[in-house]
Amino acid sequence: MKTFEEKWTAWVDGQLSGRELSEFEASLPDKGAAEAEKAGALKLGELLKRELSARTLKNEEFFSHQLRESIAGLHETAGEQAREVRSMWWTIPRLLWTGVASLAVFLVFSVFVMHEKNPTEESQYLTQILNARVDPVVSPNATVSMFEVKQDRVTVLWTEGLQSLPADYAAK
Amino acid sequence: MGRAPAFLICFVALTMGALPVLQGAETVWSGLVIAENVPQPQPIPPELTRIEGSLKKFFGYNQFQVIGQSQKTLKTGQEDWLATSKFFGLHVDARGETKAGYVLNLKLYKEKELLLETDTKLSKRSPLVIKGPQVGGGQLLLVLVVE
Repeated sequence: MKTFEEKWTAWVDGQLSGRELSEFEASLPDKGAAEAEKAGALKLGELLKRELSARTLKNEEFFSHQLRESIAGLHETAGEQAREVRSMWWTIPRLLWTGVASLAVFLVFSVFVMHEKNPTEESQYLTQILNARVDPVVSPNATVSMFEVKQDRVTVLWTEGLQSLPADYAAK
Repeated sequence: MGRAPAFLICFVALTMGALPVLQGAETVWSGLVIAENVPQPQPIPPELTRIEGSLKKFFGYNQFQVIGQSQKTLKTGQEDWLATSKFFGLHVDARGETKAGYVLNLKLYKEKELLLETDTKLSKRSPLVIKGPQVGGGQLLLVLVVE
């Protein structure tokens, strides 16, 4: 069951009809005053609708609005660029730690490079025979020669003509 | 960057940089080896494994047996030592250390008779093989390796 206020609002909005409308109007103590109040409420509603609705922009106002938005956008872009420029300048502790880390990486790579010998430098890491002599009395026809097997990094001193010995000499 | 990773990187780098220094003392293995061709060759001694291919290729034997050996840890690079078998003796006299290895004077004796003498710069990365006299059907080899 609707209250009087609800019926009053529906009546002012013109939403009552038929029996409900006639019953409500019959219940009004002063119908003339009610009609005047209804007309006032409708006028007030129209006024509010008209004044509060979005105002249509004129041409010059529209361009002015566009310009203001563009300028605001430019300011925002400039702000972002400034922030980027600021972020490119590292703080001193950050620079220090980056330097330390770079130095450490350099040292690590240096060690690895030093361990991996350059092939052109390899020959100096092969064993070198400086000189060799055999006893000319014991082995008068003996000769010595030397060569390097670079594949296995083996240096060989090759003798020929040394005095041969019996198998007994192979004993431990 | 946090401090912990930076310290870790520094520690690793410094440790790796210090490794060559820590590897100062090295051992030289010197051996008297008889190379022979036999129907059923014995496995090659572990000290010769890394040069097995070169030994077989250049000397043409299929068995290599150690008849005398010596292992010497060099601390000053001035040490001397002897590797002996029943009849042979290899006297090694270290005469200093260079960046690449050791300067050695080698003398091969048959009992008390000097057969061969040589001066060499033994590299830490490169073994030395000396072809000695023929012994029976085989060959005496002298091998020096920095381990």
